[in-house]
Amino acid sequence: MYNFSVRYHDGRLSIAHDATLTLMPDHWLIHYRDPSGELTSVRWTLPGIVTDENFSHLFIFRFGEFPQQTIECKDGNLPESLKKRYPERPFFKRRVTDIFKLNNTTIAGVAFTVLMLIGLGYWFGLPWLAGAVAARFPTSAEIKMGDTMYENMIRAYEVDDQLTAKLNDFTKAIDFKTNYPIRVTVVTENDANAFALPGGNIVVFEGILRKMKTKEELAALLAHEVSHVHYRHSLRNIFRSLGGYLFLSLLLNDINGIVTILADNSNALANLTYSRELETEADTKGMDVLQSNGIRLQGFVDLFALLQSEHGDVGSLKLLSTHPLTEERLRAAEMIVRGQKGVVANRELEKYWQVIAAAEHK
Amino acid sequence: MEQHETRQVTFYGEGAKLFGIYIVNILLTLVTLGLYYPWARAALLKYLYEESEFEGSRFTFHGTGKEMFIGFIKAIGIFLGLYCILFGAVATHNMTITLIGVAVFYIGFLLLIPIAIHGALRYRTSRSSWRGIHFGYRGDRKEFLNMFIVGSLITLCTFGIYGAWFVIEIRKYIFKHLRFGSISFSYEGEGSAFFWMNLKGYMLTLITFGIYSFWWAKDLFAYYVNNIRMYQGETALPFRSTATAGGYFKLIAVNILIIILSLGLATPWAIVRAMQFVFSNIHIDGPLDVNAITQTEADYSDATGEDLADMIDIGLV
Repeated sequence: MYNFSVRYHDGRLSIAHDATLTLMPDHWLIHYRDPSGELTSVRWTLPGIVTDENFSHLFIFRFGEFPQQTIECKDGNLPESLKKRYPERPFFKRRVTDIFKLNNTTIAGVAFTVLMLIGLGYWFGLPWLAGAVAARFPTSAEIKMGDTMYENMIRAYEVDDQLTAKLNDFTKAIDFKTNYPIRVTVVTENDANAFALPGGNIVVFEGILRKMKTKEELAALLAHEVSHVHYRHSLRNIFRSLGGYLFLSLLLNDINGIVTILADNSNALANLTYSRELETEADTKGMDVLQSNGIRLQGFVDLFALLQSEHGDVGSLKLLSTHPLTEERLRAAEMIVRGQKGVVANRELEKYWQVIAAAEHK
Repeated sequence: MEQHETRQVTFYGEGAKLFGIYIVNILLTLVTLGLYYPWARAALLKYLYEESEFEGSRFTFHGTGKEMFIGFIKAIGIFLGLYCILFGAVATHNMTITLIGVAVFYIGFLLLIPIAIHGALRYRTSRSSWRGIHFGYRGDRKEFLNMFIVGSLITLCTFGIYGAWFVIEIRKYIFKHLRFGSISFSYEGEGSAFFWMNLKGYMLTLITFGIYSFWWAKDLFAYYVNNIRMYQGETALPFRSTATAGGYFKLIAVNILIIILSLGLATPWAIVRAMQFVFSNIHIDGPLDVNAITQTEADYSDATGEDLADMIDIGLV
């Protein structure tokens, strides 16, 4: 029971010897007839024997210094005998990859479970992780990163310097209760749109300003965008999408993808969609800001109505991807408006609004 | 009839097994935030090698994740360094420094490619064996680097035309320095023939709206394989391709369907099909004494190239 037929390679010549392996108490004995018919034997001392860890049913062992000698054995009883003969010396380690030696049903089952886990990780684990990372990201670094992104992307637009100055005056008249340096830029674009970058830069398209009729609408828009900044929504999104890219490129075994993403410019990242959850949060927090500033919440209702009439149906247009507006948001705003109290007249705000309105509607 | 002696490598891999390895690799790579990648690669190569059989014996890949991890870390370090230079230079907002930074970045990459090819060849061949006999690559890094830089510059200056000669030159160099124990190799292709074949392939592919590309691919494969010679002592053994355009079409069309319909999950089955196609279409003709190959290579270990080549994604040779 301690004899096994094996193939033996001596490491010097490519000939395959059909040999017999005998398991001796303190060494392995390999004996075979060489081509000239002479009986030859080789002695392997136990400490020098290395198991070749593989995925097949072939048991391979190597011995000695380079070039190593090798034996291959197909006998399924070998592991049992080895365990019996040398209880102190484990020849086979248990490994994760051992499951490949099982049958196909097991492999398929394992694969399915793993796929489920990957799916769960992608849909639930990743957003959580992105949120956690974003929450711990230092503010100064965030501002710096956001400013770099801003510089890169603003080149694609035409900045209206006069309106930008006016809008910044307007913005300063509202207390947004945030430590981020809020800076607003107006760009000459006809679409009714606006977006926020991490660290306090907000870009407003002239198109949306032109369509606004009240200062409350503008205040609502700014409050909403500032909430995105303050609660680090875009940072969360960036980590989320970076994580997603990382995840997918690993899944497709494509390291290049990761390198590409690292080198990629920030444009694509900034134009990401916020989830409905984040939009709702920005709405709620934005309304809180208006409340505490004593500004009429009707601004939100008007803003949503404006966006809705502008973009028509929800979800079908590209621009809506930055602000997925739903009937629900409008309804929610209308509900809250009814509960508003303590509207304060803000003369300063009104003054700046008139300046902007005059510039826009001349 | 000694003349008709021919041999082949047979691939016995199974999609299901490869899939298992793939899934575990992906999972561990994810959990370890990418650090498992070298081990994943080692496992994959090990499996592909041990399912490849020649004359009744399987090939072996001796590389380990640990070795490749060292190379992986070096590669990441070099990449990070290059990117730091690039971003650092751009961040200064100084035009001159930015230009210098960009230049350093691209020159760095240009130098990295041949170093990566060289390293990958050295490492991969030294870690490959059959019946205990190791492969080896004896090219000189400096020589290869020079050849590569000169070649790329001429290619650039001739708007890519020299590329055909350049590719052949690289193949010749690599095969000349490739060893399998006492067996040596050579590549007999010629730049001009390769150039005309590519020109013809390109033109006809355009005219036929891509249909000819399968014949072109077949020609490229045949030109690669048919020009390889293997030498055992005085005996030269030619390689022969039996791939057909139809075979190519079937391979590629079905593989694309497999990958797309499964959203990439069935990639392992596509790999198995590709491996089978390649090996079943390569014949080694002539009298080879498979029992008389002697060990000639010494031990070698430096894994930087292995992963660099992977990171830059150049099709190895």
